[in-house]
Amino acid sequence: MTDLLANLALGFSVAAAPMNIAFCLLGALVGTLVGVLPGIGTVATVAMLLPITFGLPPVGALIMLAGIYYGAQYGGSTTSILVNIPGEATSVVTCLDGHQMARKGRAGAALSIAALGSFFAGCVATVLVAALGAPLTSLALLFGPAEYFALMVLGLIFAVVLAKGSVLKAVAMIVLGLLLSMVGSDLETGAGRMTFDIAELSDGIGFTNVAMGLFGFAEIIRNLEMSQESRDIVKAKISGLMPTRQDLVDSSGAIARGTVLGSILGILPGGGAIVASFAAYTFEKRISKHPERFGHGAIQGVAAPEAANNAASQTSFIPLLTLGIPPNAVMALMVGAMTIHGIVPGPQVMIKQPDLFWGMIASMWIGNLMLVIINLPLVGLWVSLLRVPYRLLFPSIIVFCCIGIYSINNAPTDVLIAAIFGLVGYALVKLDFEPAPLVLAFVLGPLLEENLRRAMLIARGDATVFLTRPISGVLLAVALILLIVAMLPMISKKRETVFVE
Amino acid sequence: MAEGANSSATGGGLLAKIRGPRDFFGGVALILVAALAFWASSNLPGQQGFAFGPGTAPRIFAGLLMFIGAVVALTGLFVKGPPIEGFAIRGPAFVILAILIFAATIRGIRVDLAGIPIHLPAFGMVFSTFVAFMVSLFGSKEFRWIESLIAAVAMTAFCVVLFVHLLGLPFQLWPMF
Repeated sequence: MTDLLANLALGFSVAAAPMNIAFCLLGALVGTLVGVLPGIGTVATVAMLLPITFGLPPVGALIMLAGIYYGAQYGGSTTSILVNIPGEATSVVTCLDGHQMARKGRAGAALSIAALGSFFAGCVATVLVAALGAPLTSLALLFGPAEYFALMVLGLIFAVVLAKGSVLKAVAMIVLGLLLSMVGSDLETGAGRMTFDIAELSDGIGFTNVAMGLFGFAEIIRNLEMSQESRDIVKAKISGLMPTRQDLVDSSGAIARGTVLGSILGILPGGGAIVASFAAYTFEKRISKHPERFGHGAIQGVAAPEAANNAASQTSFIPLLTLGIPPNAVMALMVGAMTIHGIVPGPQVMIKQPDLFWGMIASMWIGNLMLVIINLPLVGLWVSLLRVPYRLLFPSIIVFCCIGIYSINNAPTDVLIAAIFGLVGYALVKLDFEPAPLVLAFVLGPLLEENLRRAMLIARGDATVFLTRPISGVLLAVALILLIVAMLPMISKKRETVFVE
Repeated sequence: MAEGANSSATGGGLLAKIRGPRDFFGGVALILVAALAFWASSNLPGQQGFAFGPGTAPRIFAGLLMFIGAVVALTGLFVKGPPIEGFAIRGPAFVILAILIFAATIRGIRVDLAGIPIHLPAFGMVFSTFVAFMVSLFGSKEFRWIESLIAAVAMTAFCVVLFVHLLGLPFQLWPMF
């Protein structure tokens, strides 16, 4: 306990340095700015803004990225409430009741409850991350290559289970992501793999290019297809920003329950934040005395999922910081950012760079505070931003992405690769494949292969090592069970459609 | 994956038998990618003793991808699924064109394409950003000259201030021949 306090004190001393507070504020601000734009989700926002953090010192860069992440998530909620366009899956639920509240002229209350709920959840989750960090790190030290491999497989399977649509296609995306990650020099021998003798590919495909292409460019191309007139911005002036006493009483229970659910689900690898908001909403509706109010502007329907997704997005740092395994696409981007700064995510971060580790945790709390401080007064600004027509917005996003990608290595070919992935992403969406598992696998790929090879070498080529070592065996068994459970409804459904004929 | 484009047309023969075109063509595309990966990693040394060679893992995953692709394609052949929405041409074309122009002009290019030397001077960030913005605008059907020009100038100025002045990135701003 005293350790925890000492660690948090260290963290706050790092995070509260004026420069780092400035980075955190800036991150939260630009994160919200981009996240508010309709049709741009958290992953796209983080991918897009990643390059602007590369010039900063490592601690500052990661703090700013964390700020961007929270900002993007909060911005997405703002868009959901005001325009009814969810930027991404996590804010779909917020649309249901948030937009209804806005239509009844209670946009202010919805926005402030979302912010306060998120802040409360953020506070709890910060402490949780700090408390679980140390024990999980010591657990990580028990892990050998076989266990790491098994854990990553489990993480990827989680991503498959949570992906919408066909399980098989999600597995295909995982394998494709792993395969793409192998382009470039071999880890051990340095031999160029699948480079087609193109010099630019010898270092591998940059993950920012992949992420920017699949999430940024592909998203824009896709949005251009849809009619832009269907936007339903709440025109009424937003008044009464502060929630009433009754609102606070009504939502406090929902916020607390959402926080607990979100914190637990966030730790699970594979995209906890999405499930968290859905689970929290469903749970609230089930226990409510007035379930009929849900979908018609129930404040609990905003408070619970917002608290849950913020708690989950925070606790999803736990597997990343302690085990070095990103549990979702945003965390995968964080790994990329850490790698660029020469930090290898994993248990050694806490031991070797305690200032970075605890500083980041403390900055989570500061970031959440920032969100409350900047967002409530700036709601008017975000609303006016939502009125910018898409026909002017998308070219801005395109050039911004181009410059961002180019700035990483001053390499025009990177921009070209992102363009190719933009087209790939567009085709994937058209054919019902989800890009998120691909990106996760792409980032985990080198780590996965390295541990697979090492484990096989240590076991002298005996593949059963993954099953005979207890931890790895259990992890793989869980992965297999999950996969089977996920496949069952699909198989039975497919059968039905076959039998109908 | 371009072959998916034609499948929404209800062609006769074999195409008519495809019940789930999204799965079928997606699966076929996966098989093609896997085959390409197989071919590209065929010259890499494989297993040596207990150690994986550089080629082992790529071939394992290419094989796995080919298998999954085949299953997905077969599913598409037998299980009814939604048709493939038509691929838009205008949006993707202008967006990609804008990105390509940006990539080609920001530092210039010097390549030999099939023996024909292509030399393009470096136009710098201001030119690249402005032109890429203007070209991508045509990806949308709603286009207004004056508003677009103002937005393009504003965005270019914003990017110069942000990336060059605030973030201090070493970009060449103006054309250099």
